Amino acid sequence: MESLLVFNSLNILYEVFSLLLVALGLGIIFGLLRVMNMAHGEFISLGAFTAVSCQMAGLSYWVAFPATLVVCGSIGFLLERFLIRQLYNRPFDTLVATWGLSILLRKLLELGFGKGYQSLELPLSGSVSIWGTGYPAYRLLLMGFIVILVGGLTLWYNRSSAAMRVKAMIGNPELAESVGLNTQRLACLTFICGVCCAGLAGTLLAPLYSVYPAMGLDYLLRSFFILVIGGVGNLWGLFTGAAIIGGLQSGLAVLVNQTAGYFAVLIVAIIFLWRNPDGIFHRA
Amino acid sequence: MKNENNLNRRNFLLSTMAASTALATGTSLLNPASAAGSLKIGLMIPLSGPAGLFGPSSKNCAELAAETINNRGGIMGRPVELVFADAGVPPAEATKTAIRLMLSERVDAIIGMHDSAVRAAVIGALKAKIPYVYTPVYEGGECAKNTYVVGETPPQQLAPVIPWLAQNKGVNKWYMIGNDYNWPRLSNEAAKSYIASVGGKVVGEQYLPFDVNNFDANIAQIKDSGANGVLITLVGGASVGFNRSFAGFGLADSVYRLGTLIEENTLLGIGAENSKNLFSSAGYFGNINTLENQNFVQRFQEKFGAKAPVLNTLGQSCYQGVLLLEAMAKRAGQWDKAKLAATAEGTTFDSPRGTVTLRNRHVDTNVYLAEANGVSFEVVKTFPNIGSGATCS
Amino acid sequence: MVFFIARNLGLLAVLWTLPVLIGDYNTYQLGLYLLYAVAAVGVAVCWGQVGFLPLGQSVFFGLGAYISGWSLRAFGESWQVWPLLSLAVIVPALSAWLIGWLVFQGKKESGPYFSLITLALSMLAFQLATSWNSITGGFNGLSGIPEFGGLDSFGSLYYLIAFCLVLALAGSSWLLQAPLGTLWRAISQNEPRLVFLGYSTGTLKALAFGYSGALAGLGGMFYAPHQGLVTPDLCGFILAAELVVWTAVGGRKSLLGPVSGVVLVGLLTSELRDVFAYWEVLVALLFIGVVLYLPNGLSGIFKPLSGLKKTKISPEIAIPARSSVSANGGLSLLFDNVSSQIGTVHILNKLSFHIKTAGIYCMIGPNGAGKTSSFNVLSGELPLSDGTIQINGQPLKLAQHRLSALGISRKFQFPSIFPELTLREHLSIPLWSNQAKAHQYLDHRLHRWRSQVLSSLLIQFPFLSNQHNLASALSHGERQILELVMTLIAEPKLLLLDEPCAGLSPQETKHVIETIREITQENNLTVIIIEHDMQLVRELAEHLFVLHQGNLLAEGNVLEIQNNEQVKAVYAGGSKT
Repeated sequence: MESLLVFNSLNILYEVFSLLLVALGLGIIFGLLRVMNMAHGEFISLGAFTAVSCQMAGLSYWVAFPATLVVCGSIGFLLERFLIRQLYNRPFDTLVATWGLSILLRKLLELGFGKGYQSLELPLSGSVSIWGTGYPAYRLLLMGFIVILVGGLTLWYNRSSAAMRVKAMIGNPELAESVGLNTQRLACLTFICGVCCAGLAGTLLAPLYSVYPAMGLDYLLRSFFILVIGGVGNLWGLFTGAAIIGGLQSGLAVLVNQTAGYFAVLIVAIIFLWRNPDGIFHRA
Repeated sequence: MKNENNLNRRNFLLSTMAASTALATGTSLLNPASAAGSLKIGLMIPLSGPAGLFGPSSKNCAELAAETINNRGGIMGRPVELVFADAGVPPAEATKTAIRLMLSERVDAIIGMHDSAVRAAVIGALKAKIPYVYTPVYEGGECAKNTYVVGETPPQQLAPVIPWLAQNKGVNKWYMIGNDYNWPRLSNEAAKSYIASVGGKVVGEQYLPFDVNNFDANIAQIKDSGANGVLITLVGGASVGFNRSFAGFGLADSVYRLGTLIEENTLLGIGAENSKNLFSSAGYFGNINTLENQNFVQRFQEKFGAKAPVLNTLGQSCYQGVLLLEAMAKRAGQWDKAKLAATAEGTTFDSPRGTVTLRNRHVDTNVYLAEANGVSFEVVKTFPNIGSGATCS
Repeated sequence: MVFFIARNLGLLAVLWTLPVLIGDYNTYQLGLYLLYAVAAVGVAVCWGQVGFLPLGQSVFFGLGAYISGWSLRAFGESWQVWPLLSLAVIVPALSAWLIGWLVFQGKKESGPYFSLITLALSMLAFQLATSWNSITGGFNGLSGIPEFGGLDSFGSLYYLIAFCLVLALAGSSWLLQAPLGTLWRAISQNEPRLVFLGYSTGTLKALAFGYSGALAGLGGMFYAPHQGLVTPDLCGFILAAELVVWTAVGGRKSLLGPVSGVVLVGLLTSELRDVFAYWEVLVALLFIGVVLYLPNGLSGIFKPLSGLKKTKISPEIAIPARSSVSANGGLSLLFDNVSSQIGTVHILNKLSFHIKTAGIYCMIGPNGAGKTSSFNVLSGELPLSDGTIQINGQPLKLAQHRLSALGISRKFQFPSIFPELTLREHLSIPLWSNQAKAHQYLDHRLHRWRSQVLSSLLIQFPFLSNQHNLASALSHGERQILELVMTLIAEPKLLLLDEPCAGLSPQETKHVIETIREITQENNLTVIIIEHDMQLVRELAEHLFVLHQGNLLAEGNVLEIQNNEQVKAVYAGGSKT
């Protein structure tokens, strides 16, 4: 009984962390740039398929990380330059255009890899015993990695001068421009950073889930719900959102069933969108 | 009286419709192939959508069947010609496709490999005007007129298999997990009686929305329930995801898994490291060790080469469908839907699945229980001639 | 009117002759897409006219289809089916209205969050339809739905569907030309302005959403007998998104746009998908391209042609002045220790002043003194953290749009108008406000209303007489004047003007000042003007309030203020005047 409690707690913790990872990229693109990016799920797929390609080429799984950064970085750059840049401050158009983009990316992945399921070997197999409960080693590694990634990004966002400039740009674009900041370039870098985070999430999660071209949609909606509940532009918001969504889904799945969890997540998301769309931790 | 008028009007409509449609869509009425008496079969297979990955194998299997039949003189002397159409679409689209095949392409029969919602749409569209063969694994119970089923039903996949697993592997505590729709629910309904009949019990039953991809709660339940068997009726990506998590948590060593729709593609997604003690029950596997199947596989690979899609029960069911039409025509002696229907019962043909017999417009067929070995299946037991449990008259 | 009837009859004639040309099979296909088109027209009304994007319209389409399918299965051709079928339109309409009402109430924007709510609703509806086996038949759907009143889905049903589409188009275009349509377009242009003109935009948007729900339900109602099968995917996200794609490609700003989008993209997709593997890639590219470069869709290309038509000017209907206005004149306004605070920032700090009689009051003070903020607290833009505001002795506790009914009108600092609306529409909106009864917003005669105030203002500012010009064509000064005129047409008792002469030429300034003075005297109006230009203040003001750091520094007439030591100290402190 006790081990089941440990097991369920670890599972919920893992769910929250993985959701945090999944939503991170959107947190940057939507949270900082206010770009309602409906192609977020496909950016995650891009990372996953980069990992698959590396495995196909006989390369080590770890090579997929730099590869994802290169792939997502260049795709992010091109997208920002030729699509997103024209859409800042046009929320509906952004929503609709990036949705078109998501269809496009999905179809291109289908044409490139086929519609079938790809299987990625676990880079780290075996399990570790925690208070008498065996838990998959890769999951633990993943959780550690998420802490490092998110912690690093937060530190960077709070301390570095580049982040200062980003914040200045978000706070008041005209003013930032007038004091000599190249806001266009900053926005582009921020967007690329968001795409890369989404891609890395895909690369990291790919060994645990099924990888196929249409995998992105689930991640997209969950990420949006997390941001809406937690509030954007703030790490605590992201964490709270992930905790509420993940906890609700996992908790109800344990206590009632998965369908109940699914309904509950949707209903809570709707209530937040309706009553409090700025989320719990709104950036003042 | 009113109804009769309506019917007459419809008959009239149908005859003019074909002509006008042909003109409108630019298909010539004087298509030499159909004029020369080829027998046209429409194949509705998933080319897009979530089931789209079964499109290539379905298409190739049907093509191979047509070639086989044409090599031995066609159906009633008429060469078989196939027309493919996408069925991986919403039902409304499928309705249109079925009507187009019937009226514009003027197919003589339709073979469908798609989900049950689309089946309902196709049956509604065809209104029994031409024979329709439904081929994939499904929940059973379809008795519409001029409709024939060659796919596996829950009684076929489960009735012999559950007792076998109880006897040989000691599986007596079952946990059931499926997606939340008709097929898994009806499959599990059937499974419960077989489990009870061998003294086993069901320790959990869960249905998941299609887009759930975290199965941790279910895995905790499985651990906690002490189940030693899991009956999996999840489909597609969900099945892959569940099986990966399941093995990831080290449950594969101690708990047996039985899937009724885990075919070769799903197994590839699950991966070799996660497939220990995974069983699958179906009417077909690529490496059934019979002469008939070895022949089939060899011809399949010769025809479609090294890049041929992986053979699986869903794709191969299209081959069965075409063969069934051939056998029914042979038995009826002519291609006429009423005559075909009248003599259908008892139609028998040899196939890669073994000898298949039509009963109650479903088939008695061999059922194979296979165990995963890496990313391929090995048949461990053949249950000959299992009835579908259908009660269509 | 004749043109309106002729155009719709013409369209109906075209749709009714099509079957002869394209054959029964294509007619059948077309019938299905015309049903989607009915729903897409609703999307276009919401998105193209009112300016909010519904991303879950399939919910109402599916709801209509399930109700209709269930009724037809249960009652077939007996008479009971008719009242039940009407529910297939009424229930979706009411649920859409209710959702809209709940979500939009008390908000002055309809941003993407509404879209996400509808998206989440479509996922919810899909899962519900899939899980609720006993009612919906689950994933496999409700099948075996009989034909509708004996109408053959391959033939005669098409004519009924075509008729319904034309009815939907005619109804929509009639609505859009009615005063209600003007208000809907005004929402998409400048919602806060409309609120201050006295309209509850939440209610108006809920009406639009309810209407679109009715259209979607209508489409769904015919879908069930047309297909004989209703499945959960009708409620799902894919159909909802397709409706948006079709509307965007066809053109959301026109009514025929979505129809052509549905027919073109929808029909071509179902024809070409099997043949051409890259078709969907092509559609996605086309879609992105349209959003980027053709915001009005394919039908927007033809816009210059249709834009030429002008409606005939009909004789005008004179309406009397508002009874309450001339009677006593002005109202009393009391700010009693009013504070406003956001986070830790104090915006107003115990501001108190009292205006008892009609006249022109000026509010001056350095930047950040709280001048505009005091207007904002009064009009509910900023929170009232402490103290009270009283109008005629009553504490002010009202929704923003109700202020106008009290006789409070506000002109913003930066001209706040409706760029894509005609001048006539600008002048009509404040005229109707608090004058027209709810049902009259469907009465096209409202467009011909004219009041005495309006007539005299038209003489003062002749440029307003080009009634079919769009406001976007006006110069900055003209926009300032237009907004001022709008606030005056509402015949307020308390007029709040925020730098009304900023950006005006000297001549325009003179003109505006004269008008303000004249109207104030004629109507015994209370006017509060925020102004930086001391020259103007001297000319206009009878009484001055000087604000500093969110508090009242001094008050009095011009001379008193000029000699006030405190005021001198503040202004000498380096703040600009």
